[in-house]
Amino acid sequence: MDRSNGAKSGLQLKSQKFRETREGDWKALSRQLDKVDRSGLKSLSAEDLLNLPLLYRSAVSSLSMAQSISLDRNLVTYLQALSARAYIFIYGPQTRLKTVLKDFFIDGWPVAVRRLRKELAFAFLTVVVGFIVGWAMCAHDPSWYDVLVGGQSQGRDLSASAKDLAKTLGKGDVPSNAMLPPFAVFLMTHNTRVAISCFAFGAVFGLPTFALTLYTGVSMGAMVWLFAQKGLGFAFAAWLTIHGTTEIFALLIAAAAGFHIGMKIMFPGAQTRKAALADAGRLTGTAMIGVAIMLTIAGCWEGIGRQTILDPWARIGCGLTMLTLWCLYFTFAGRKAKGEGDGEKT
Amino acid sequence: MAKKPKADKVRRDLMADAAWGDGARSVMQVTTPEGVQLPFVRASFGERVGALLIDLIIIIVLPVIVMILLLAMPLRGLFDGKHYTTLSILAIFAMAFFFFIRSGYFMAFEMGRRAATPGKRALKLRVIAHDGGRLTPAAIFTRNAMREVELFLPVTLIVSFMQHKSWFGWIAAIWAIGLVLLPLFNRDQARLGDFLAGTRVVHMPKAMLSYDLVDMELDRSNGLTFTQEQLAYGEMELQVLEQVLRERKPAVMRAVAERIKTRIDWREPLRIEDRPSDEHFLRAYYGALRAHLEGRMLLGRRRKDKHDTDRRDPAANAPKA
Repeated sequence: MDRSNGAKSGLQLKSQKFRETREGDWKALSRQLDKVDRSGLKSLSAEDLLNLPLLYRSAVSSLSMAQSISLDRNLVTYLQALSARAYIFIYGPQTRLKTVLKDFFIDGWPVAVRRLRKELAFAFLTVVVGFIVGWAMCAHDPSWYDVLVGGQSQGRDLSASAKDLAKTLGKGDVPSNAMLPPFAVFLMTHNTRVAISCFAFGAVFGLPTFALTLYTGVSMGAMVWLFAQKGLGFAFAAWLTIHGTTEIFALLIAAAAGFHIGMKIMFPGAQTRKAALADAGRLTGTAMIGVAIMLTIAGCWEGIGRQTILDPWARIGCGLTMLTLWCLYFTFAGRKAKGEGDGEKT
Repeated sequence: MAKKPKADKVRRDLMADAAWGDGARSVMQVTTPEGVQLPFVRASFGERVGALLIDLIIIIVLPVIVMILLLAMPLRGLFDGKHYTTLSILAIFAMAFFFFIRSGYFMAFEMGRRAATPGKRALKLRVIAHDGGRLTPAAIFTRNAMREVELFLPVTLIVSFMQHKSWFGWIAAIWAIGLVLLPLFNRDQARLGDFLAGTRVVHMPKAMLSYDLVDMELDRSNGLTFTQEQLAYGEMELQVLEQVLRERKPAVMRAVAERIKTRIDWREPLRIEDRPSDEHFLRAYYGALRAHLEGRMLLGRRRKDKHDTDRRDPAANAPKA
């Protein structure tokens, strides 16, 4: 029966005709993907780039067609692999830089930080409690200072005189201003690593993140106590504020992100755990990319600004300006106007 | 009675040669934004460990090479207190490089234009979003930041505590092994970072489009035709036959041709020169069977394998008058 049908149409199966008409498109798509694999996106001409999504859609539609009319396993496997390769390219992380930047700075980052506000408040509270505890412990018994600050004191210990302490707040012993940028880069890389760890440790039920945040507060409290005791409290606060408002803010966001994933691992809420974790990861990932940006800025303030701006009032002014800017940005950027709705962007 | 075990044997023989590379691998259906279901082959645990090892070797070896280069360069003259600018550029470069290696390697390569680290590229692995949506930079950041808890921190703890012979090292070791083996204990073979970022790692073989095996004109001219009763196999057997024909191993083709001939009561032409070779016979049979099955498919009556009897098929069930 089927044979005689085949004879009428030039002895060809439907699946063969289908293949003949579409094969050119598939080959073209495959060639372009090879090219991208070999030498990157830039090797494609503008026309090719515009064509690529069309070829991808045609391959995907060929696949669903082939699955319902062809029993040629090689053909179906080929189309699956081809569509999968094209899919990875089309829906990969690489989009136009302009869209990426707009999505991130206007829609992504501030919104993510706002959604983390409860965790952020908790992290802030942890630091404040740590600060008070650190101060109180040292005020009660100065020998706590060595225990609490220990290795990172860098000469700012109990035996140091007020003059020594004042010196650590000054320009430092950098031999030339040319060496300031490397110092800034060092601080930025170091702090970013700490922030990433602080965030990732949240996966262990948030406990290490909590410990790390608390300890930051404790050592800060202890140091402020030390300087305040020698009458240098204001100068030290100024020294800390110029970069600290940005840096500590960033670390608080990292800690908040860590708390968020820790919470979602334990209490996924109304969603399935899988969906809850995926949502939490994307939200915190966005916030953390922002943290890296903030720490780069903080590194510049700490490495360059703090060494060149020596007046305490100017230092505090810079620090508070940054803090205000951050707060304004996180509070108001990317808010949808009333009536626009908060539905998903298309 | 005696026929049934024989039929099973044929099936086993046919299947024994069915070495579809990914037949045994687990497949994940992902719905693309266009609403098409795309099957992705999950990356095996071994492949992922392999890719990670390649990346770790790069991470360890590259800094060593850079250090050697830095030491080999004639830099001593720079420390005389006059070349601060050069020194600072060099220092920035070195620090940025080590930071990249330690914290940015995985993220940068996965966000980059090739969308995979060198290790993943070598083993043809790619990262996709589990729900079929776009893979975002945030997801990539999270999945790789989690390596801190999954890999770097436990390893650091193990090393430092083992030196002090502390029991804490053993806890860190158990933690690390538990997290590293996590992909073995869930259906998606995802690690912690994958769960948190909603990503999955898949294997991307590059499939080649081979020629179409069906050439009906040639079969017709060879005079090989089959009755509908003789086309007694289903889609699974058709695929096995396709595999046999694409691999073209003479011994296998001979064995398969003989099995089929026995099963369908094939009558060889009387003259020896008219008898088709095994390959000709199999290709003709494949073409006829595919035409038959695809014809049924178009009518919505698919036949999975030879044991699948279609109740609605009048030819099979009609009471004989």
